[in-house]
Amino acid sequence: MSEKTDYHQFIDNKEGWVDRRIFWEEEIYEQELKQIFAKSWQFIAHDSMIPNTNDFYTTYMGEDGVIGARQKDGSVRVFLNSCPHRGNKFCFADEGNARSFICNYHGWSFGIDGKLGALANEHVYDEGDIDKEKWSPKQARVETYKGLIFATFDQEAPSLDEWLGDFRWYLDMMFDNDGETEFINGSIKSYANANWKFGVENFIGDAYHALWNHDSGLKAMNNGEGFGPAVQDGSFHASVNGHGWEFGTDGYADVVIGGSEKWLNYVRDIIKPKIKDKYGELRSNIFGSLASVSLFPNISFLPGIQTFRVWLPRGPKKLELRIFTIVNKNMPEEIKQEINNACMMTFNPAGVLEMDDGENWEGNTQVNKGYLTRQEKLHYGCGITREIEHEELPGIIYKGQFNDANQRHFYTRWADLMNAESWDDVPTRYKPRHTKITK
Amino acid sequence: MTKSPEKSAGPASMELTFEVEQFLYKEARFLDTEEFHAWLDILTDDIHYWMPYRYQRYRKNHVEPTVNDMAYYNDDMHNLKRRVLRNDTGTCWSEDPATRASHAISNVEVEHTDNPDEYKVYSLTTVNRNMNEDEEHLIVGHRTDILRRVNGQLKLAKRKIILDQNIFMNKSLNVFL
Repeated sequence: MSEKTDYHQFIDNKEGWVDRRIFWEEEIYEQELKQIFAKSWQFIAHDSMIPNTNDFYTTYMGEDGVIGARQKDGSVRVFLNSCPHRGNKFCFADEGNARSFICNYHGWSFGIDGKLGALANEHVYDEGDIDKEKWSPKQARVETYKGLIFATFDQEAPSLDEWLGDFRWYLDMMFDNDGETEFINGSIKSYANANWKFGVENFIGDAYHALWNHDSGLKAMNNGEGFGPAVQDGSFHASVNGHGWEFGTDGYADVVIGGSEKWLNYVRDIIKPKIKDKYGELRSNIFGSLASVSLFPNISFLPGIQTFRVWLPRGPKKLELRIFTIVNKNMPEEIKQEINNACMMTFNPAGVLEMDDGENWEGNTQVNKGYLTRQEKLHYGCGITREIEHEELPGIIYKGQFNDANQRHFYTRWADLMNAESWDDVPTRYKPRHTKITK
Repeated sequence: MTKSPEKSAGPASMELTFEVEQFLYKEARFLDTEEFHAWLDILTDDIHYWMPYRYQRYRKNHVEPTVNDMAYYNDDMHNLKRRVLRNDTGTCWSEDPATRASHAISNVEVEHTDNPDEYKVYSLTTVNRNMNEDEEHLIVGHRTDILRRVNGQLKLAKRKIILDQNIFMNKSLNVFL
């Protein structure tokens, strides 16, 4: 593929299809690392994962290994986990607390701020051989949104607030419904032989699959009862800058999936009144309904079930999934554990719902090894004419949560970024109501 | 087997060790042959089936996982029955065709506990899972169990499983370990 590839050729929002090659081709994947993951704001960690000075957590932005570390002044720095001398990783732990990192190869040390410090046997270097400021690992820009730490290596990228845009209208009901949130300690990490986008797009808008694919899982959690009929009235897709939230307004369908009466009562008696006071009736009805959410490019969560995850790309045919449980800090310990147990029962590789998902995404991906198969298109036409204007809901809104709308807009954003030579080339495709756009 | 006057400390007798091994093999067979209700029957009602999350940390940062942390499993009987119910619904598409699994149980050590009816049992479970057209996965877990003698029969009362894998290498964990 040449430099001038137009990535909009891989999607068609009029006919409603996506080209399968974007889930398979190495060249497209390499372009994703450059155009999506080297530019986008990406999730690093939740504040509660690294609360103390010198706490660190290691993760990836695309396939670039990074360390997120809490500084003395309370801020977080994010920098490449690669020694500038010969390139080896200088931190091999998933998390911990350290005043410095020392590369195993030659003993170069790095402060918790990521700056190059003392070298082992430093006397072998002559005066002027090395400028330590210049030879420190690359640092990312870091910004936070309500406890979520994000980073980007692109100095030109818009602010995180602008990147999230009016999606914050929705995010607030999850991350600020009753004070600060926190993650339960630990996470479950797993691989699937699937393209990363299949995980993201499943959470961004695919309520449809739940009815069929998760029938057995829901029955397991809900005393043998499956989903009710698909309700399109009072349910929506909302898309902002490639982020997507699909939701109903029944108020409790996702909470029921967790199978905990104590959590259900807590949502009804504590959370919903708080949301209603703070954000109004509509959002108090949205929270807890059948819903799923993804943030562009690779974070997902389920409000009311409280699983939170990041999809890390590991090549075009493999992803690493990191799963967390998110709760409110001020919840009683018993409620936090009810939520954590419900997440564990449903959404981890052993969960009664997640077990079925991985199978689908691997299948979606691996069939594309067939040359002829991957020349065929995938259908994304559900609800293609259902766009509406809504007086209260910001973003690009479609009626009916059983819809491919958020998926279509996710891939549109994907193509916008894949094509962009600068941020001026990236259009704002929704009409902002709450966000000032600077670019 | 009738209740024998086992000592409250020291190594288990060959007879007891043999009985425990046979129990673990029978359990493995139930799991391999998908006899999940038979499996539930050899668990105590207060079963705790736990497989905590894994992280790799520096040795100086080592911490033991707790039951309040993230976990693959942190189940009581109610939750285990839910998992079995999923397989019974008739709509569990990913298990049809069925997964083929082999549990090899080894490294069995039996210890007495302060409770004369309970034994602490260490074992290694090595699971070969073959599914779909040709997918094969190896899952190895270190198990620490409490077995309890109820009405003369051994039952599993507690299980903690520690995986070798830091990142779980598969899309799903659809076999009990």
